[in-house]
Amino acid sequence: MYEMIVGQLAATIRILTPLALAALGELIVERSGVLNLSIEGIMLFGAFVGFIATYYTNDPWIGILSAMGIGILLALIFGVFTVLLALDQIIVGLSMNILAMGATFFFYRAIFGWYVSPVPPHVKTLITEVPIPGLSMIPIIGPALFNQTVFTYLLLFVLIPLTYFMLYRTRIGLHLRACGEDPLVADYLGINVYKYRFMALVIEGVLGGIAGALLSISQYNMFLDNMTAGRGYIAVALVILGRWDPLRMLLGALLYAFVDAFQLRIQAAGVVVTAWFPYQFALMLPYVVALIALILFGRRIRGPRSLAKPYRRVK
Amino acid sequence: MATSLGYSKKVRIIYTIYPIISVIMALAILSLVIYLIGVDPAKALYYLYFGMLGNYNYVSETLIRATPILLVSLGLAIAFSAKVWNIGAEGQLYMGGLIAAMVALNSSNLPSAIAIPLIWLAAGIAGALWAFIPAILKAKYEINEIFTTIMMNYIAIYFTSYMLHGPLRDPMSHFPETPTIPENTWLPRIIPGYRFHAGALFSLVVLVPLVYILLSRSTLGFKLRLIGSSRETARYCGIDVEKGIVYAMLLSGFFAGLAGANEVTGVVFKMRPEISPGYGFTGIAVALLGRLNAIGVALASIFMGGLINGSYTMHRMAKVPVGVAYFVQGLLIILVVVGEYILRRVMLERKVKVE
Repeated sequence: MYEMIVGQLAATIRILTPLALAALGELIVERSGVLNLSIEGIMLFGAFVGFIATYYTNDPWIGILSAMGIGILLALIFGVFTVLLALDQIIVGLSMNILAMGATFFFYRAIFGWYVSPVPPHVKTLITEVPIPGLSMIPIIGPALFNQTVFTYLLLFVLIPLTYFMLYRTRIGLHLRACGEDPLVADYLGINVYKYRFMALVIEGVLGGIAGALLSISQYNMFLDNMTAGRGYIAVALVILGRWDPLRMLLGALLYAFVDAFQLRIQAAGVVVTAWFPYQFALMLPYVVALIALILFGRRIRGPRSLAKPYRRVK
Repeated sequence: MATSLGYSKKVRIIYTIYPIISVIMALAILSLVIYLIGVDPAKALYYLYFGMLGNYNYVSETLIRATPILLVSLGLAIAFSAKVWNIGAEGQLYMGGLIAAMVALNSSNLPSAIAIPLIWLAAGIAGALWAFIPAILKAKYEINEIFTTIMMNYIAIYFTSYMLHGPLRDPMSHFPETPTIPENTWLPRIIPGYRFHAGALFSLVVLVPLVYILLSRSTLGFKLRLIGSSRETARYCGIDVEKGIVYAMLLSGFFAGLAGANEVTGVVFKMRPEISPGYGFTGIAVALLGRLNAIGVALASIFMGGLINGSYTMHRMAKVPVGVAYFVQGLLIILVVVGEYILRRVMLERKVKVE
C-alpha cells in the first residue's frame, strides 16, 4: 500500500512537469494579452525535433536545446502573425496546430520510413532522475518531490516562484499585465506592447519546446503521431481554471496529473481490474475530469481584459 | 481616385483567386521537400495528379473521399461563420458513425428508402447531441467551446473503441468492429462499375446548395454571420446570441454526424475504430480554405479528397512517404489564413483611403 501511494505520487509529479511547464509559458503569454492555442503545436514539434536530435546525437541535452529552438521559432512565427500583423489569434493558433500535426506525421515517415521496421525507433539516452541527498529520503513526499529530473526541480522550485514574484512584485510584471489588460493605455504610458508580447512568446516557446521534448525523450523514449494528444489545449484550460495565477494553475495541473497517473495505474493493473473497468474508460478519465473541472470551475471566468484581442498601434 | 479604385479591383481579383495561388504555393513547397528527400518532384506530382483525377475510377474515388470531408466542413462553415469554434467534429463524426451502425444493424427488414434516411437522420442527431453539451456550456456558462469540444473528441473516440471492443463487437471478426450492416442499408451506387454512391451525390447536389442558401440567403445565416462579426452588435439588433450559438453548434454537429453515417453506409459498411483518418480536423482546414462558403468548401473538399488519394498513389509509385496530404493540408491552411487576412486588410485600407 505504501509503495502504491509513493508510486502514484511520483508518477503524478512526473506527469505534472511537462504539462505545468507548458501551462506556465501559456500563463505568461496570456497575461500579456495573447491567447496562444499553438502551444499544442509547439509541444508536438518540440517532442518531434527533440526526439530526432537525441536519436542522431545520443545526447538528450542537444535534444532539449533543439526543442527549445523550434519552440522559439514557432512562437515567433505565431507572434509575427498575431502580434505584428494582428491576425485572429484563435484561427492562427488552430491552423498552426493542424500544420504541426501534418508536418510531424509526414517528416517522421520521411526520416524513418515507417514501413522499414515494425518497431518504432527508440532513444536509449534518458534524462534520468537526480535524487537530492537527504530530502529524497523523507517518507511519502520525498521520492515524489526530490527524486525527479532537473526539470521538475526547475519548475517547482525556480520557475513557479519566480513567475509569481515577477508577475506581482516587479515592474516587468506590472507592465506585462498592463499589456494584457489594456494595450492602448499601456502604449500611452510608454510601454512597448509588442516587445512585452514577443518576450512572453519567446519564454513560452522555450518552455513549450522543453515540455514536448520531455514527453518524447524522457517519458516515452520515442515519438508517436500526435503524441501530445491535446495536452497543449489542456495546458490552456489549466491556465483558465487557475484564473491566470501560477499557484492556482499549479494546483489544477496537480489534480489533472494525479488523475492521469491514476488511469495509467488502472491500465497497468491487469485483467482483474480491466474487466471491471475497461481500459478505454481509463484513457477517457483525464479528459472527463478536465471537462468536469471546466464545467464546475470554468463558468464565466474573466481573464485579462484584452485577451485574444488583436492590438494595432495607431500610426 | 480612379487609379486607387482600379488598384482595389486588382487586389480583389487576387483575393478571389487566392485559394488557387495558395494551392500552387503549397505544392511548390511540397516539391521542394520531395526533392530534398531524393525523389523527382515532377514524377511525384504527376502521380499525385494521376491518383486524384487520372481516370474515371480515380475521379469517383476522389469524390468518395471528399464526401465525409465535405459534410464535416459544410457544418463547420456554419459554425465558424458565427465564430463558434467547434473543434469537435471528429468526435461528433464518431458518435454519428456509431449510432449509424447500431441503427443499420437493427433495420434489416426495412426497405432501403426508409432505412437509409432513418440511419442518416439518427447519425446526424447523434452528432448534434454530442455537440449540444459544448453548445449549452458555451451559451449558458461562457465556457470556451474549443476546450470542451476537444475533450469530447477524445471521450467519443475512446467510447467508440470501448463499444467496438465490447458490446457491439462482431464475434466472428478478428478486429474490434461491428458486424457488416445488412445490404438494404448500403447506399446505392449511382454508376455501374464505380464506387460513387448516393451519399456523395446527395451531399454535392442537395446539401451544398442548401448550406449555400442557409448561409448567404436566409435570415438564420445572416444572424449567425452577424453574431460572428460582433456579438455586441447582434445583441443590439435584438438577436438571441445564445440561441444562435446553440444552433450553429447543433448544425455543425449534425453534419459531422452525417459524415459518420456516410462512411458507415457508403464506404466501410461497418463501424471501425479507425473510421476517420482525421476528417474532423481536415474539415477545419477545408472550411477555412473554402472561405466558409458552401461552394468554396465543396471545391476545397474535392481537392483535399483528391490529395489524400493522390498521396497514396504517390507513395506506391514514387516512394514518397505517406502523410503528404496532411503536410500539404497544414501548409495550405497557414498560407490561406495568413494570405487572406493580409489581402483583406489591404482591401480594407484602400477602401478607407478612397472614401
